Amino acid sequence: MRLLAFVCLATAALAPLPAAAAGVAFVINSGAASVSLIDMTTHKELSRIPALREPHHWALSPDGASLVVGDSAGNALLLLDPATGAVQRRVTVADPYQLGYSPDGKLLVVNGLARNQVDIYDARSFALVKRFPIRSMPSHLAFAPDSSRVFVTLQGTDRLAAFDLRAMRPLWDVAVGSTPAGVLWHDGHLLVADMGTDHLVEVDPADGRVLRRIVTGKGAHNLFLSPDGRVIWVNNRVAGTTEELDAKTFAPIRTFHISGGPDDLAFAPDDKVWITRRFAESVAVLDPASGEIATIPAGRSPHGIFLNPSAPGAAKLARN
Amino acid sequence: MGDPFDLAAGWLQEHALLPLLYALGLMRWEEVSFGWALFALYGAAQVALTYAICVPLERWRPVEHWSDRRAVSVDVLYTLISRVGVLPLVTFVLFYQAQVALNGWMADHGWVPPMLETMFPSLLGHPVLTFLCYAAILDCVDYWRHRLSHRFRWWWALHALHHAQRQMTFWSDDRNHFLDDLIAFLLFGAVALAIGVPPLQFPVLVLLLRFVESLSHANARVSFGWLGNRLLVSPRFHRAHHGVLAAGQRSCNYGAVLPWWDMLFGTADFGRAYAPTGVPGAEPALESGTYLRQQWAGIRQLARDLGGRRRTSLTIGRRNV
Repeated sequence: MRLLAFVCLATAALAPLPAAAAGVAFVINSGAASVSLIDMTTHKELSRIPALREPHHWALSPDGASLVVGDSAGNALLLLDPATGAVQRRVTVADPYQLGYSPDGKLLVVNGLARNQVDIYDARSFALVKRFPIRSMPSHLAFAPDSSRVFVTLQGTDRLAAFDLRAMRPLWDVAVGSTPAGVLWHDGHLLVADMGTDHLVEVDPADGRVLRRIVTGKGAHNLFLSPDGRVIWVNNRVAGTTEELDAKTFAPIRTFHISGGPDDLAFAPDDKVWITRRFAESVAVLDPASGEIATIPAGRSPHGIFLNPSAPGAAKLARN
Repeated sequence: MGDPFDLAAGWLQEHALLPLLYALGLMRWEEVSFGWALFALYGAAQVALTYAICVPLERWRPVEHWSDRRAVSVDVLYTLISRVGVLPLVTFVLFYQAQVALNGWMADHGWVPPMLETMFPSLLGHPVLTFLCYAAILDCVDYWRHRLSHRFRWWWALHALHHAQRQMTFWSDDRNHFLDDLIAFLLFGAVALAIGVPPLQFPVLVLLLRFVESLSHANARVSFGWLGNRLLVSPRFHRAHHGVLAAGQRSCNYGAVLPWWDMLFGTADFGRAYAPTGVPGAEPALESGTYLRQQWAGIRQLARDLGGRRRTSLTIGRRNV
């Protein structure tokens, strides 16, 4: 198939911004077609970058120079400077809903949730290497650490699919739950959040065999490994909770009530956890130590969230 | 403080729709359900806003007085179905899916789907201006859709249902045959796909535009003045379109929101004022039947016209123009 990606728009300017901030949170407002830049210290919104239609998720380029935001209905990747939020360029790509770079940095995998396809792009050129049509609703993805395979949940089915990234062929596609959503490579196995039930599913990456089920909360949607590797955080969409699990034993540690459809999650250096609330137009900043939750307004249906604590913040943003 | 509609839709989603979808094993639809909740709430707000403004207007300066308003109650049902119930869901699901599929297909073939913002990058970051551009284009398309629905015999057989109401009120805006709605939906969808209309980005402005459309059907002697009537479709302007003398092929004032297209294409008539509405000779079921009887009457009329039986009540009505 002909290589697809090409540049379609040049840069766009950011509005002048107030000074002084350390660290910037990028919140992707899927229903407002924008990305909010939020000062991590003051919790004030610094700027809002327009996307085209419906941005959802992001991936950091292997060299760290670009925050790549997928605009699914806009059929575009939006490349942002992760320090300032300045738009570097826009690249046309069909239905980029969820995306991730392989650990070796060579490939970019893009899930087209609406178009039922998993696309493999060259990470540097955005040239389409391989397309895997698949039913249905390829949603989240996880890589094997050696970049040999990518695993994709099929949210419109009960299945998880695996693809060989070296031979560029499908490996297996098996039933693992009701509505598989988030997926995480963890300790040699896969963990899948099953949004149609109240549990995670542990899966053997070799063949998709279900090893066990771990109860969390209704509508287990997404899961994340803490930076120190000790805790797995699970967002339960229907229960409206965020749950800490011991990463070794999967024993529950604590449960926090996060209303408004908790979705994506990011860890800040001060140990606070930032969580997008899809149906509450805001981000929750949870302090696990105290259990206190601060709420920051965002745009409609905030989905992906990226924290750059080393971003120079508003002072530099103002000069762009 | 966030957008109250978003927060209300979020509450509905969190406390009613998600638990329902979860119980039914339908969690794959959870994002669609949020979209529907937003559409339905905006639809309900449209109805409430229109009711709050149009009812006093219709009582203050009515064009006509009716002792029996049963014919109006059917139009209420049309409105609720169209704005709050099934149609928002269908529109959202179909439109969204179609847009994604077609745009993706075009992108596969190396062609960037033509959005206004990609054609005119300076529009990026100016959502209101962008929306107004989209609204003007779509209003122009709707002008031609509407005009053609009067021009073609088979299409008029369906569209006559909208015109058959002799007790026209602000509720009458959504009184349409479902096939007429379907054609409009497909046409709008195709054009919207060609220029990339965003489905959920500007709901408040959509709400205001729909209000103008409802207001234009009000049973009220309301004019926006010489200049205002030429800037926005008024009840006076649109009533001329629904007048008995304008039924059928040689109607006037087809515009839904902007009268500019009528002025541009020679169909504007600012002279007629507050004529009785209806389609002369239309069968009673089309005028004052129940919802289902009206729909069935429309299908029968369509079948007659497609079957070549020219002498029908609607044909007579048209020849009387």
